[in-house]
Amino acid sequence: MAGRIRQLFRLWRVQAYLDFLWMTRDARYFLICFICDTIINIGTVTAMLLVAARFDGIGPWTRDQAFFMLGYGSVVRGVVNIFCGFNIFHISRRIGRGQLDHTLIIPQPLWLILLTEGFTPIQSSCSLIPGSALLCWSIPRLALNVTPGWVALFLLNLLASVLIMVAVAFLWGSIAFWAPRAAEEINTDVDGALEQIKVFPLDGLGPLLLGSFVTVFPIGLLAWYPSQALLGLRPAAGLLLTPLLAVAWVALAAFVFSRGLRHYVHTGSSRYSAYGHRS
Amino acid sequence: MSIPVHHDIQPTDIVVELQGVCKTYRQRQRSERLGDALRTLLRPRIREVHALADVDLTIRRGEIVAYAGPNGAGKSTTVKLLTGLLHPDAGQVRVLGMDPVKQRIPCVSRIGIVFGQRTELWWDHPVAATFEWKRVVWDIPRPRFERMRETVKELLGLGDFFHSLARELSLGQRMRADLGLALLHEPELLFLDEPTIGVDVLAKRQIIQFIKELNREQGVTVLLTSHDMAELEQLAGRIVMLAQGRIAFDSDFAQLRRTYADRRVLVLHTTGDTAPALPGAELISSENGSHEYHYDAGSARLTDLLKTAEAQTEVLDVESHRGSIDEVIADIYESWQRGDAAIR
Repeated sequence: MAGRIRQLFRLWRVQAYLDFLWMTRDARYFLICFICDTIINIGTVTAMLLVAARFDGIGPWTRDQAFFMLGYGSVVRGVVNIFCGFNIFHISRRIGRGQLDHTLIIPQPLWLILLTEGFTPIQSSCSLIPGSALLCWSIPRLALNVTPGWVALFLLNLLASVLIMVAVAFLWGSIAFWAPRAAEEINTDVDGALEQIKVFPLDGLGPLLLGSFVTVFPIGLLAWYPSQALLGLRPAAGLLLTPLLAVAWVALAAFVFSRGLRHYVHTGSSRYSAYGHRS
Repeated sequence: MSIPVHHDIQPTDIVVELQGVCKTYRQRQRSERLGDALRTLLRPRIREVHALADVDLTIRRGEIVAYAGPNGAGKSTTVKLLTGLLHPDAGQVRVLGMDPVKQRIPCVSRIGIVFGQRTELWWDHPVAATFEWKRVVWDIPRPRFERMRETVKELLGLGDFFHSLARELSLGQRMRADLGLALLHEPELLFLDEPTIGVDVLAKRQIIQFIKELNREQGVTVLLTSHDMAELEQLAGRIVMLAQGRIAFDSDFAQLRRTYADRRVLVLHTTGDTAPALPGAELISSENGSHEYHYDAGSARLTDLLKTAEAQTEVLDVESHRGSIDEVIADIYESWQRGDAAIR
């Protein structure tokens, strides 16, 4: 186990090294990309941000609470971007294009490769900026009792939201095992839906829709529910709901992905495209 | 610089073993008719393609084996089975004594794989960076990595572009870099799937020389597929030919020529424009007194053909040489398509 963890950090380090090389290859190009990506990331929360600022809150959320939720959701996205580059998050592309063959000829466990090959801590760090800024701005204004325990629960919920986001991507992306051509871009559509809805406060929805948004299509677990729990708007036990559901989602995604992989190894990949592979 | 010897070559070691291996693909069939499209929506018509049908194959340590066959014969399927990318429907696949799917990690750590139409290089990085990435991911001890890196750099001539970005390399340079990359962990067994496809003659020659040297000095077993028969003949001591998912031939190239026809080319330059009729030889072309014939040296003698020609016209000059292996193979493929060749 210790050896695996050492290997995990070694692989993250080598990916970070490649990422650094990419950045230093052309500083001007990197700067342009970095600024553009930052603007795009700000853009994903701008509408809700302006609404919250203009009306001093959204529904039951005060302005600062809404900012906290937007910041939380944005940081979740940033962490996903940092760990899941090179189409790890858009796994349907790798599967649909037959690029999983490249992964299977590496003498490391598949989970370890998938966990490390998309690590891009430098080029994706821009996606953490808007979220971190919103959290830094809102937390002091919320009169939260920020204790080490709260910070630990915040990090636990953040990790859980990240895992749920990735698990949803892998679950949907696994369809590409059975329909490589039709589902090659399915992650793009799923990601779009997640990004568009996750920034909305879901209060006011009917119990059926709300229930499905925190279970079968867990958009509510990417920002809305964990933010409420962390802000004390839910009973204390609510702080454990997202982590518990994350375990269930990861288990389900791992099961479906492994079934898909078994299918892939039995039927083979009938198509191959190098597009997007390690580039 | 020569490649260091570090493997004990035991000629009896079996490194690849296929026993009764079958692999069938399912293809949907549809016609262009609208009614048919709707019918197949409800009841899909499936055609089964037997990529491999009861294939037995054994490769011993230190061999270079050419794996040939027409398109769709099952070559790439075999390579995928041997590299753990595909599971057989029936039969057993063993690579270095292991099941390549169930024992994927130990198996791929001892083999090297190069797919001619794919690259393992990081596209936006110099070749050197991908080499370093491989050292970490494959967990290659640094002294061994540095020794192999210098070896492949020198023998494959990577020095000129070692620090260039992969996406800026020519196809030949990229192939050489990919080949070097595949060897950094000193694999015992190398799978090369069309490694020289699209590369120029100079790069091809470098790759061929390198593979031969690697095999001779390090004892690396090589299984390579290619459509370039001349290249396979230069490299391999043994050729295995597939036809319709079955092994149709398994021996050396000399035996292949003997078995399927010792084709010779005869060119006669005559005073007249009319080509002499030569029983036992097939006239291929005739232009301005220059006539090209093909004949089988096993059934017709050159001296007899020349006597017959001289009896009909004045022969000014004669050229005769063996037919290229590509022509032999083309004839074999054609006969297989007609179904008139015995399988092995």
